[in-house]
Amino acid sequence: MAFLEVHDIVKDFGGLVANSNVSFQIEEGEIVGLIGPNGAGKTTLFNCIVGYYSPDYGKVMFKGNDITGFKPFQTNQAGIGRTFQIMKVTTGMTVVENIMVGAFCRTNSRHQAREEAHEMLHFLGMEEISEQYINELPIAKQRKVGMARALATKPQLLMLDEVASGLNHTETDEMVALLKRLNVEKKITLFLIEHIMEMVMTVSQRVIVLDGGIKIAEGVPGDIVKDDNVIKAYLGEKYAKGR
Amino acid sequence: MEKVKDALDFTDFSGVERFVLVVFSIFLLAFPWLGAGSFVKAVMIQFLLFSLFGMGWNTIGGYGGQVELGKAQYVGIGAYTVSVSMVWWNIPFWISMPIGVLIALGYSFMIGYPLFRLKGHYFAIATICTSLVLQDIFTNWKLVGAAKGIELPIHEHPDFLYMQFKSDTYYYYFIMVLFYIALFYMNWFRKSKLGYQLRMIKDDEEAAESLGIDIRWCKIKAYSIASAFVAVGGGFMAVYNLYIDPVSVMDLDLSIKIALMAMLGGAASLWGPIIGAAFLVPLDRFLGSWLGGHKGLIGVDFMIYAALIMVVSAYQPRGIWGIVEQLRGKGK
Repeated sequence: MAFLEVHDIVKDFGGLVANSNVSFQIEEGEIVGLIGPNGAGKTTLFNCIVGYYSPDYGKVMFKGNDITGFKPFQTNQAGIGRTFQIMKVTTGMTVVENIMVGAFCRTNSRHQAREEAHEMLHFLGMEEISEQYINELPIAKQRKVGMARALATKPQLLMLDEVASGLNHTETDEMVALLKRLNVEKKITLFLIEHIMEMVMTVSQRVIVLDGGIKIAEGVPGDIVKDDNVIKAYLGEKYAKGR
Repeated sequence: MEKVKDALDFTDFSGVERFVLVVFSIFLLAFPWLGAGSFVKAVMIQFLLFSLFGMGWNTIGGYGGQVELGKAQYVGIGAYTVSVSMVWWNIPFWISMPIGVLIALGYSFMIGYPLFRLKGHYFAIATICTSLVLQDIFTNWKLVGAAKGIELPIHEHPDFLYMQFKSDTYYYYFIMVLFYIALFYMNWFRKSKLGYQLRMIKDDEEAAESLGIDIRWCKIKAYSIASAFVAVGGGFMAVYNLYIDPVSVMDLDLSIKIALMAMLGGAASLWGPIIGAAFLVPLDRFLGSWLGGHKGLIGVDFMIYAALIMVVSAYQPRGIWGIVEQLRGKGK
């Protein structure tokens, strides 16, 4: 029994097959990357696992329990956290309040929630922005708030959707360091969608490649970059032949 | 015990706000002895009543961001439960009022469950519809007096059990106590788990779902709390006016006033509904009695406060309280 098992996921949007029989497994403590060209079905796959979509066919098992068709709040309570590719810029709550909402997932006490939120801010080194609103922050900080509030729900598996897009080089490096810290210090299994190849190759222990809704490759980063199917998917048929 | 402490904890407000609250409380306590006339006293009672309604509405409408325009049906449930049980079975107010709240709670779960499949404007329209349907039922229900309404039996001597007093002062203090219970409850609520979760739902529903929040259940809970609040107010209206009919306690006009007072004052803030009621109730009453006396000017009062609301919502959607915060440089 693996930590997360995905069996034969099919998601069909009225003729557009976004995921076609995708299967894979993630073991506890791993960092797994999910890559693929635009429109490969990466976010759809995420949404099928977390419960924003219910898959047309297939099964998702988390820690041995069938969580297929669970609502997002149920998968979260089961221990899966997620962040969004596009963080909605809101004006209604401060950073610390945002994180408190996450902490309220596991506690009813407002005092404990506030304490945990401050601990999380301390862990991520962003105490100085605790009383600011999300719309006042630069994009890198907004991302971190999104991560912080997901982390406050104490997930065992954290699914990150393009957490480094729009970040500059230094910020990306910081993000990589943070992800590694989460994995080592907090023992959180990470599953991330990423566009920036450099990042995904340095941080992931294993990479899954999707193209056109089909899983075309899976393996350690070093093998993936040499895989013919992957090169074809990213650079086109011609390039792959002429090589 | 900790809950009581949290409810009385106003420390996150500024010194000025706390000072105003204390002064305002002293004023409320002393008000009946200031020698105001019966009309002004009646306006004060209306003000406290509508503050209570507005604070209730604020749970789902303000913090939860779900524009709800059907609160009159719960005022009606509270008022009718008290009246009917007093007329038919001679049940004291202190028993019938909690029963009314329980019925309102049950009914709100029944209504809320299907209603919260809808979002935004569709939800707002649906709340109006359910309220109108209930009003129609009561308008045609012969057993409860149909369109004629119900008159409560008047007791010869003042009777605390039935909440019948000769002087308005007693009603004033009673509604004031309810007002403070509501205020302290709301002060607790705004920082409670449900309060935070609702604010997250208002900000970003998709993200709220990913943080372990059962959105529909949260909304239903808040909707029921709001309903319980207004049902208490409805029960008070019955014993205070000693006469209710479907128009006075279930009209769309009442639903809209409840929502507008909270929105005008500032939705999703503790003071908002109180400020809104302090502003609109006197305006509504004085304009109503002044303009209503002139032929051809009936209804102009509604136009005036509709215009006020448009101005405020165009200039500062967070209402009067939003303007105050903006002036203090706290606004965003």
